[in-house]
Order: sequence, then structure tokens, then C-alpha cells
Amino acid sequence: MRSAYLSTLCAVFSIALGVATGARAQTPEPTRSQAIEQEQAEKAKDLHPYVLTTTERLLNKFEDITVNGVMRWHPFFDSAYHGSGFSPGVGYMAHVSPYNLLDIRGNYSILGYKKIEAEFIAPRIFQRRGELSVLGGYREATQVAFYGIGTDSSKDDRTNFLFKQPYVSGLMTLWPRRKFLLLRGGVEYSQWTQNPGEGSFPSVETVYTPQTLSGLGAKVNYLHTQGTLGFDWRPASGYARRGGYVGVSLHDYADNDEQFGFQQVDYEVLHHIPILREAWAISLRGLVQTTSTKSGQEIPFFMLPSLGGGHNMRGYESHRFRDRDSLLLQAEWRIMVNRFMETAFFYDTGKVAARTRDLDLVGLTHDYGFGVRFHSPFSTLFRVELANSPEGLKLVFAGSAPF
Amino acid sequence: MSSSSSVAVRRVLFVPLVAFAIVVLASAGSTQRPRFYSDDPIAREPESQDASKASPYEIKSIYEMSYNLFVTSGYKPSGLRAKEINTIDEVPDSNWFTNRIGTTPITPEQLTRGPNVGTPPDPSRWVLTREKTSGAHPGFTARDAKGETWFLEFDPPYYPEGATGAVAIANKIFWALGYNQVESFITSFDPGKVEFDPKATLRRPSGKRTRFTRDDMNSILERVAKNRDGTYRVVAGRLIPGKILGGYLFGGTRPDDPNDLVPHEQRRSLRALRVFGAWTNLTDLKAMNTLDTVLTENGRTYVKHYLQDVGSTFGMCNDEFEWDLSHEYFIQGDTTRKRLFSFGFALSDWQTIPYPEYYPSVGRFEGDRFDPRTWHPQTPTTAYMEARADDAFWAARRIALFNDELIRAAVRAAQFSDPKAEKYLGDVLIKRRDKILNVYLNAVNPIVNPRLDAGGRLTFENAAIAAGVAKGQPTYHASWMIFDNATGATKPLSSTDGQATTLNAPAGLPTTAGSYIEVDISADLQAQPTWKEPIKTYFRRSAQGWTLVGLERLPDQVDPAHLLEHEKKQP
Repeated sequence: MRSAYLSTLCAVFSIALGVATGARAQTPEPTRSQAIEQEQAEKAKDLHPYVLTTTERLLNKFEDITVNGVMRWHPFFDSAYHGSGFSPGVGYMAHVSPYNLLDIRGNYSILGYKKIEAEFIAPRIFQRRGELSVLGGYREATQVAFYGIGTDSSKDDRTNFLFKQPYVSGLMTLWPRRKFLLLRGGVEYSQWTQNPGEGSFPSVETVYTPQTLSGLGAKVNYLHTQGTLGFDWRPASGYARRGGYVGVSLHDYADNDEQFGFQQVDYEVLHHIPILREAWAISLRGLVQTTSTKSGQEIPFFMLPSLGGGHNMRGYESHRFRDRDSLLLQAEWRIMVNRFMETAFFYDTGKVAARTRDLDLVGLTHDYGFGVRFHSPFSTLFRVELANSPEGLKLVFAGSAPF
Repeated sequence: MSSSSSVAVRRVLFVPLVAFAIVVLASAGSTQRPRFYSDDPIAREPESQDASKASPYEIKSIYEMSYNLFVTSGYKPSGLRAKEINTIDEVPDSNWFTNRIGTTPITPEQLTRGPNVGTPPDPSRWVLTREKTSGAHPGFTARDAKGETWFLEFDPPYYPEGATGAVAIANKIFWALGYNQVESFITSFDPGKVEFDPKATLRRPSGKRTRFTRDDMNSILERVAKNRDGTYRVVAGRLIPGKILGGYLFGGTRPDDPNDLVPHEQRRSLRALRVFGAWTNLTDLKAMNTLDTVLTENGRTYVKHYLQDVGSTFGMCNDEFEWDLSHEYFIQGDTTRKRLFSFGFALSDWQTIPYPEYYPSVGRFEGDRFDPRTWHPQTPTTAYMEARADDAFWAARRIALFNDELIRAAVRAAQFSDPKAEKYLGDVLIKRRDKILNVYLNAVNPIVNPRLDAGGRLTFENAAIAAGVAKGQPTYHASWMIFDNATGATKPLSSTDGQATTLNAPAGLPTTAGSYIEVDISADLQAQPTWKEPIKTYFRRSAQGWTLVGLERLPDQVDPAHLLEHEKKQP
């Protein structure tokens, strides 16, 4: 019985070995190439095109619109007037030829400022040496600040005024050598109507009279002509860490009624000094604006040069200082954080004066602060800055470079 | 023996015997593969299936850049060994890669010719057909006087001869390294001898394509470097044959190509671009600079993979004021934080490196401060993140094959008018080569080319000592084992030591054909602790003698210390 049992075990063992050996003997030894080819044959049964993820599809759409295509519907944040507050809006752009386009846009600010306009832009005229813009629209600023005339005006004397302005203009910019030299000329016809201001501050007519404040309550039809001669060696005006700009602009405001005609001259110098391969940049800007009245005419208060706001004296409210002439000096130490972000310490100083000869360095107002900017190689996309002045702290949000 | 004890014995014997039988049966029926097949090591990756159904796919730049900057940069490398290699740790030929330098001798003349097999363009007349659709520098698509289509690329005004020269040099180097390259020639473009194809169009801002005009051409020529005689220097790339599919990704596989089995991040040829890129400063490493095409040859349809645009090399970055390229990604967390909180006072390398401003044909390219471990492309790729020390060693061995003469021959392809610029570029490539060899040939056990003759004499070389980047006399140690190819089991034989690169086998090596042995070889040199980690080599016995069938420099899975991404943080 014992031997029978062992025989059974041996038989099981032999069968097992035989099956195993037989199985190996019947299958030819595969090769590496055959193994790979078998995997390829398996994959061939389930081929399909690339499947895009939702994120990829969305980013591709974004690229199609912003880089490769035409962004017909677009956001529009360019406010009706400085001091409007956040001004969300929308525009629709359509090409009327391969390069020329028509843009209709509008926005409405949290303070009730509104703007709607249409612009025709021909960006490549005179064999790419010029650009033409024809613009028509309407804007309304509901609570523009007016603190009085001069640098000595008090923050507590704020009043508000409103103005409405329909306008139509043409502006041509020429680069005769396609770079550096810039010539610009334009003409605008507009009507400024100044009305009582809205908001929590007293309206301007409750404090001033037409005798004490030129242009109060006026409705003025201006034919505004202008010309600029400039040298621009920045890589781009919207964002630069090197290069500079020097320019002079002449403006003539002719009042149909010959009451409020005047001339204005703007002198601007701007220079970016790169340090350590643009890791830092010292950016400097000087702007002088002077006005002169025409014989027997006056400059309405709302057309006077002003300082204060997110693009000049950042520690002050918009239009904090107004007078016939102004001087603005700005310095920034810009620090590259990465290719799309920079920080900056800044210092702004300036003054307004009734006479050009008073635009000296005595009695300047000033502010300083720190900001963070996000930018593309050619434009500033978003800027947030905290500025401090004798009148307190101010937070600035903007969608463009300070200068 | 009593009946009860007999039953107990039977039970004791029966259970293990049946279990053994089950194991034997199971192993017979299982799909367990031997470690080495009869055709190992393969010299060519098979591409057996028809790939005609592969369809175009183009990854777009914003998605690719965003993904690589914000997702890939945080990618945790798997530590897995490359899969595009054969069993002796080499990359076999494929439609991705062709072994050239190191496999066959390349003369300076061959290198200067590179991938060019056809005749150069005839620049006596150019017919413009459309704009250039890829690459950082301006250009056109045009037909030459012979009617052949070329992609023309110009030099920016601030780098005369630079961009075209970079394409010409890198094209030859990457061809020799094994990558599929476009045929490229330095030639000329005379605007006075240009015609416009009546069907030539240009995409306008409106989105429409309209007739390509002379003014369109002029608008491009205004932005490029001009010769004194009014002509322009261009590099002309021959039109790639086949159906264009778009670029290949540096991760995953093509879902529409049955032959594409190895995830691209596990292709050694793509991982090695981290090292080749550092050598040549190929900063614009992205899918958009690659190209897949569908080709049919001898009745077989397959996808061929080109490393198409290698022009972002030797400092020829997009802008003359982009100083940080090759030193950090476009956006990088650690440097961003460093500069943000130090207000820029924590300087980065790129802010202080002296560059030769006096060679306008050479971009931001230097060798004195170069460290291959800290080199960065503009954005990381998954393959770049996955690179291991054995991938870098493989790449460094190929770079080591570029002797000074070959490097200077490659640079001559640029046809620089200034011999000093040519010399400078060659000098820098030599310096960078030497630094790469010093870092990566010493990062792992550098024993290469093991051979075992029929008489049992093991011979090998030490790549680091041969390249002159390691000094001293190591003691070599070989552990010999019988290797069971079916199960992977080993049976130790003995060990042999010696200071020469030839060691004798111990007694007892199998003599039957089809038997295998494993020999683990290490080197002991105080200054090189990494050499102590043995490479595993496997030999198969045949009637003629022993053949190397396996080589494993590092295990399948390595710890972070063997990842280049880890090294980068601890240079």
C-alpha cells in the first residue's frame, strides 16, 4: 500500500514535470523584439488621437483669442477720468481691413463715471511709419475733486464737480525712421459742460462763485489741436527697464466763444537706468506743464494742470493740487522679482504754481511708497502700490505703468 | 510502522509534493519572462505596427509653458531607470535616435557636413511662399532657384551671424549625438532677387490671410542683421518629408502611434537632453521645438521624431537683454522668493557672470562659471526632471567623444567671419565639455566596455580615468556568480581583485552554451566613493565564448541622491 502510494506520488510528480517540460518545449523561446512587437500589436488595438484636458482646452482658447486671433469682446478698464475708482467695462473690436480696426467700448465706474466711445485705428499707415486714430465718444465724471488752487490748498476743502464731455478727435503718430523719433499731431472738437458734483463732498458751486472760480458752471466748446516732438528709445512704452523718452507737446485749446481759450506746453523727460543686468532699474521722470491764456481769456478751473493720483503724486487723492503750471519729479527703484513681476520703492515730489518761474524746488509736496507690479515684456498688466504722504496712506490699483 | 503512523507519513509527504507539482505547473503556465532573450542586447527598437493613423496634435505655447512652469517644476521624479535602453544600458537605434558618435568614427569633415545629404539651396532666386511659423528669430518659408522649399531664418541685428551660426553648429552636434536633425545650410538672401508666389499669403491681425507683399518682407528685414552689400545671411532648413504631426511631448506616449510604447519621460535620449542641453545651452527645450512626421518607407508607415529647432543654443536667446536664461526657469519659486524678500540684494549668478561682449556673433555663453548641475532650460520638461545619474553618465560619455578637433569642426559650420569668435566658442564648448565630464563621469561607477574572453579574462575600461577627470590607481573588485536566466537566481563563485583593468575569472565558470554568469565590478579609490557601488554585468556563454548581454549601472529604482534634480539643489 505504501509503495502504491509512493507510486501515485511519483506519478503526480512526473506528470507535473512532464507538463512543465512539455509546455516549455512546445513554446519557442521568444525574443526581445518579439516581446516588444507583441506589446505594439496590443497597443494598435486601442489607438486614439490625443485627448485634451479641460485646462488645456481652455488655455488654448485663451491663446487663440489673445495671441493668435482677434479678441473681439474685450475688457475695458480705461476710466472716464482720473479718480473714477474701479471702472469695469467691455468693448467689441472688429477689423475693417487686414490691419485697421474699429473698437466700440464703454465702462461704468463704482463712482458713477461713465464712458462710451468708438475708435478707428489704422496702425500701419505710410509704410508702417505712422498710426492714425479717429475717436468719438462721450464721458461723464460725476464727482471730480477740486480742493482749490495752489499747493497750499487744504485736504479738508474738497469739493466735487461733474463734467460731461462729448468729443471727436483725430490723432496721427509718425515714426519717420520707424524708431526713436516720434511726431504726433491731432485735433479734437469737444464740449465740456461743468455741472454740480455728486458724492459726499460739497458741490463746487456751494463754495465758489463764477467770480472766484474761473469756468464754474461753464459749457465750453473747444477745438483742441496738439503737436508732439519726442525721442523714444524705450523697448516699449507700456513697460521698460531701460531706455528713455524726451518729448515736448504743444496744445492749443480754442474756445468758440473766446472766453476760455489757452495754450499748454508739456515737457517730459523719462529715463530707466538698468543696474546689474536689469535686476534693478532706477527710473526717473520729470514732467513740467505750463499754460498760458489767450488775450482776454481765462483757463477754466477744470482744465488746469493737476497733481495727485495713481500716475503722479501717488500719496494724494486724484487732482489734489491744481494751478496754472505744475512740476512733477518721480524716482523709482524697481526690483526684478522674476520675468513677470517686479517690486518698486518710489518717491514722488512736485508742486503747482500760478507762474512758471515759481516751478522751483522750494515748497515741494512729496510722497513715497512701495508697489508690486505684474507685467508682460511690453506692458504693465496690474499694479498695486501703497503710498504715504503727509495726508496719509493711499492704496493705488492700476492697470498700467506709473511711467 | 503502525497504520496510523503510515498515514501521517503519507500526509507529510503528500502535501509538499502536491504543492511542488502545483508550483511547477504554475510556473510552466505562467508568463514569467527570462531576464535575457536570445536577441539581447537589441541594437534597434522594433517599430512593427502601421502608424498611418497618427493624427496632428500641436501643443500650444501658453499651455505648455504654464504646465511646465507650474506643474512640471513640482514634479516628483520616479527614480525609475530609463526604459528606452537595451539590456547593456545603451540606447538602441529607433525613429527617435540613431547611434552615431561612439558607434562609428566621425571625422571632422563628416561632422561639419552633419545631417546634410542633399545639395545646398540655390540662393540666386528666392520665391517667398509664406511666413516662418516657428522659432524665435524672424524668417520666411521660400523656394530656392531649384524649386525646393526651405525655411529661412535670419540673425537679429544685435547678434549678426549669431543665430544662424548657432543653428548650424547645434544642428551638427545634435546630429552626431544621435538626434534626427533637419538638413541646414548657411546661405544668403538677396532682397533684389526675391519673387512672391502668387499664392503666398500672410496671416493678418484680422485673422485673415492676404497676399504676401514686398512690404511684408521689408517689415521682417527691418528687424534682422544686414550685410554690407545689402544681402542677408540666413540659415536654410530643408522641408522635412512626410505628414507633419506637430511636436512630441516630453512625457507620456503618443496615443495614436502603436510603436510608441516607452513613456517619453523614460526615454534616455530625452532625459539626456538635460546634459546635452547644458553643454550647448539649449535653453528653449519644449515640445514646440520638436516635430513628429509620418513617413512611409518600403511599405512601412511609421512616425519619425525630430529635435527640430536647436537654435536657442550658445546664448542665442530671444532677446539680447535676457540675462537669466540657462540660470533659472522663466518663473522659479526659490529665486522669486529670494529676490522678493531681499529686494534684489541676494544676487543670482547671471547678474555677475562676465560675458564676452566683444563677439557679437556669440551670445551669452561662457565656460568659466558654468556648472552643469545648476543649468536650467526656460521651462522644465518631465524628461528633464526624471534624469538620473546613469542617464547623465551615458550622455557624458557621448560628449567625451567630441575631442577638441571635432568641437572646432562643428563650430566651423557656423562660418563666422571673425576667427576670434570661432575660437572663443570652441574654447567655451571645450571648457563646458570638461566640466560635464568631471561631474557626470564621476557621479557613478565609471567602468565601461566589459568583455570576457573565452579564456576567462575580464577586461574593461574606466571612463573617468580615460577622460582625464579622475586620477589615482583604483583597486578593481569583481564578484563572480552563476546566473539563472529563468529565475534570476545567482550562485556565488568567487571574487577577484586587481589594480589593472583586466581581471581573471575564478575557476568554475560554466562551459555549456546558453549558461549565464553575473560579474559585479566595483572600484576602490578614496577620492571616488561612488565607484564602490558595483555595476552588474551579465555574460552568456556560446560556442564562441562569452558575450555581454547585460549591464546595470544603477538599480531600476534609485534613491534621490542619484537624481539630477536632487543634485541641482546641492551643487
